[in-house]
Amino acid sequence: MSRRRALLGYVGARLALVPVMLWLIATLVFLLLRVAPGDPIDALLGSRAPEAAREALRQKLGLDQSLLAQYGGFLSQLLRANLGTSLSSEEPVTRIIRESLPASLELGAVALLLAAILGLAVGFSGIARAEGRVDLAGRLFGIGTYALPPFWAAMVMQLVFAVALGWLPVGGRFPPTLQPPSGSGFYLLDSLRHGNGAQLLATLRHLLLPATTLGVLLSGIFTNALRLNLRRALASDYVEAARGRGLSERRVVLRHALPNALLPVLTIAGITVASLIGGALLIEVTFSWPGIAFRLQEAIAQRDYPVVQGIVVVVAALVVLISVAVDVLVALLDPRIRF
Amino acid sequence: MRPGPLLRGPLAAAALALGLALAGCQPSKPPGTLIVATKSRIVSLDPAKASRIGEQQLLSALGDPLYAISAEGQIEPRLAAALPQLSPDGLRARIPLRRSVRFHDGTPFNAAALEFSLRRFLAIGTLSYQLSDRVSSLRALDSHTLELTLKRPFSPLPRLLSSIVLTPVSPTAYRAHRDKPLADRFVGTGPYRLAFFGGQQLRLAPFRDYWGPRPANNGLMLISYSNSTALFGALRGGEVDVLLSNSLELDHQRALHRLAEAGRLKEAVGPPLEIGFLSLLTSEPPLNDPRLRQALAHSLDRRLIQERVSLGLRPPLRSLVPPVLPGADPTAWAAYDPARARTLLRAAGWCQGRVLTLPLTFRSDIPSDRLFALTWQAQLRRDLSDCLQLQPEGMESTTAYSQLDKGAFTMILLDWLGDYPDAENYLTPMLGCGKADGSRCLEGGSVLSGSFWTAPGIDSELLRSSELAGEPRLALLRRVQRRAGDGVPYLPLWVVTPVAWAQPRLRAPRFDGSGRVVLSALQAGGAQP
Repeated sequence: MSRRRALLGYVGARLALVPVMLWLIATLVFLLLRVAPGDPIDALLGSRAPEAAREALRQKLGLDQSLLAQYGGFLSQLLRANLGTSLSSEEPVTRIIRESLPASLELGAVALLLAAILGLAVGFSGIARAEGRVDLAGRLFGIGTYALPPFWAAMVMQLVFAVALGWLPVGGRFPPTLQPPSGSGFYLLDSLRHGNGAQLLATLRHLLLPATTLGVLLSGIFTNALRLNLRRALASDYVEAARGRGLSERRVVLRHALPNALLPVLTIAGITVASLIGGALLIEVTFSWPGIAFRLQEAIAQRDYPVVQGIVVVVAALVVLISVAVDVLVALLDPRIRF
Repeated sequence: MRPGPLLRGPLAAAALALGLALAGCQPSKPPGTLIVATKSRIVSLDPAKASRIGEQQLLSALGDPLYAISAEGQIEPRLAAALPQLSPDGLRARIPLRRSVRFHDGTPFNAAALEFSLRRFLAIGTLSYQLSDRVSSLRALDSHTLELTLKRPFSPLPRLLSSIVLTPVSPTAYRAHRDKPLADRFVGTGPYRLAFFGGQQLRLAPFRDYWGPRPANNGLMLISYSNSTALFGALRGGEVDVLLSNSLELDHQRALHRLAEAGRLKEAVGPPLEIGFLSLLTSEPPLNDPRLRQALAHSLDRRLIQERVSLGLRPPLRSLVPPVLPGADPTAWAAYDPARARTLLRAAGWCQGRVLTLPLTFRSDIPSDRLFALTWQAQLRRDLSDCLQLQPEGMESTTAYSQLDKGAFTMILLDWLGDYPDAENYLTPMLGCGKADGSRCLEGGSVLSGSFWTAPGIDSELLRSSELAGEPRLALLRRVQRRAGDGVPYLPLWVVTPVAWAQPRLRAPRFDGSGRVVLSALQAGGAQP
């Protein structure tokens, strides 16, 4: 079987598993929400509403049905790509996700880009002299940023750059004094598409603090991964062979060691995307960023079952698809991988 | 491997220029408009779904109630032209309506529009029970008179009708949403119309055809921040003009209060209408013994709690009704007296080598709750360590609320803000009991509040108070409070005062009698009127 056909088979098998994984995740979320203490009726009406009013609302929202009936309804809606309506606002969940997901993706993408640039630069900087001062500083940076509590780092950034210095806004995604750019929900792209400089600058001003905070926090993973893999690659036989052929150290590092060291980093980047959702929650709450993690936290507090289920399923689908894409990319780039 | 000297300079210059541009380019706002920050994210603009304080605050600028409560606590007709005219049996109330009022879409406000709005609220309103518990039917008698038929005489009707969730909406604009909510639009009669709704941000523009005085500003931009530090920083950094406290953390409130004292901010306080209290489980041992409950009432040093927990910002409370409301009895509960507490504990068989351990549940997601639990624990260790000790246990609030009526908590810290400012709206939700077995309540507000306490005749006294008016009603309400104070099903702790701050160039915000900032009165410059 040719490598191309094998790769197609591999991709097909991975994609075929996606619906099964999503069903498992959706079922787990559905059950966990029902098992968890707390009642959406309390969140909506308060605990002192008369029993008749509570019962009427319970019936209206379909919460009086058996667990099996609720689960059947949920799955049947899910199969028709209908995520239901929010219990608290009665908005369609798809609309809530459509409005908040671009905010999270924009923040995550910029943060990931910053994390990759910063992390790889720091990881690479110490390579000239192992265990030297630069290398040690890079190690400390990698461990420090990885260990830093996100909420604390975010609050310090907010207090220094927004409150004390007043350089950047304390939070939010866009200033109230301007009309947000219309279109896809990705403000950077939309403002560029409209060619509106004021909107673009306003977007960047609001994005800078949360994206930098998240980027710095994630960069340590890249730093450590690159440092370790590059060191291993530099000690390998093929690098010694390259040196033996009289190639310059610069060429040995850039053409031979670095590409091999970057492959595991690519895998780590895929995993990082998944961890972005958890890490972004604290960042989104601290910077009042109206993203999907922020909406998820609100929905959990209100026991808004359809919103929690919808967000988890969509995020899970994204994570699964990204991880498949990363696996395929690594398989394409690394000839050693067998399918 | 590093950028060469030729590149380093331009790169650094570009980065610096971008940084300066980003830091310096703060967009300006139109003159006369103000930015108001709150913690509450507006989920829905539909009055039928507005159950949160932030949404109701916003609706008070976009809509009008039938009646309003002035800062002095007086009822004032707004969309109603006068107070309701009651039939001799008190079961029918005719409400004359103001003429020449228009909705934001230009259509006229009249009795038919009000009937449409109230029927819609009854059909889909989250808080519809407020109305359906009292009103059996309603109809437009003529173009500007609405008649309500009540289930039983209800003297605080104008106060109930001051609730902003009952604000009328345009039947034309809501025709397709008669029986379903409309979250992202609002068409009412208020001093502002909605210019933009973006969830985290809203813009309100003055309504040109408003029947009342025009707003004192050229429009409002409302922005919500999700945490206290961001709100505090936004005001201090000058990003926002006005900050509504909502749930600002107490240390931030105190810092802003000090800035206001130093003249660097304007501060305004509203009527304290939210109460904090402990609910005691009276139907199970050990707190089914009234002596122990009375001992707890005497053991609580509210002054210390005020200083240590609320940093002096929440006045102590010894009543279930906020003292600003007519009918409140500010001394209905026993005062701090540790010696008396010890005597009562001894009489109940404790102290002589036996220490009573009581679990105290606090809501773990509310910082002041935890601080209260720890402070009271330490205070009891100081005063009554040989008799009584507390065992604080945290629980997330939504989880705790769902277990209140199951008798799950020996003592739990809660709060309550009446849907409309009237003593009855504090006493009935706490003491109401439709069905009882001796002193154990089986059904009603007392069960829903987690105390399960009742006393002979107290529910009928509460019902009778709604039929009375004037001083006889207030006397009866005070009597109910004193009886509850003797039975100690709850321990009132404090009242929460709403606060708002404005930049020094603005006039201080003003509150109405319902505890909401009058947004249309926010104004730049000048001395206090």
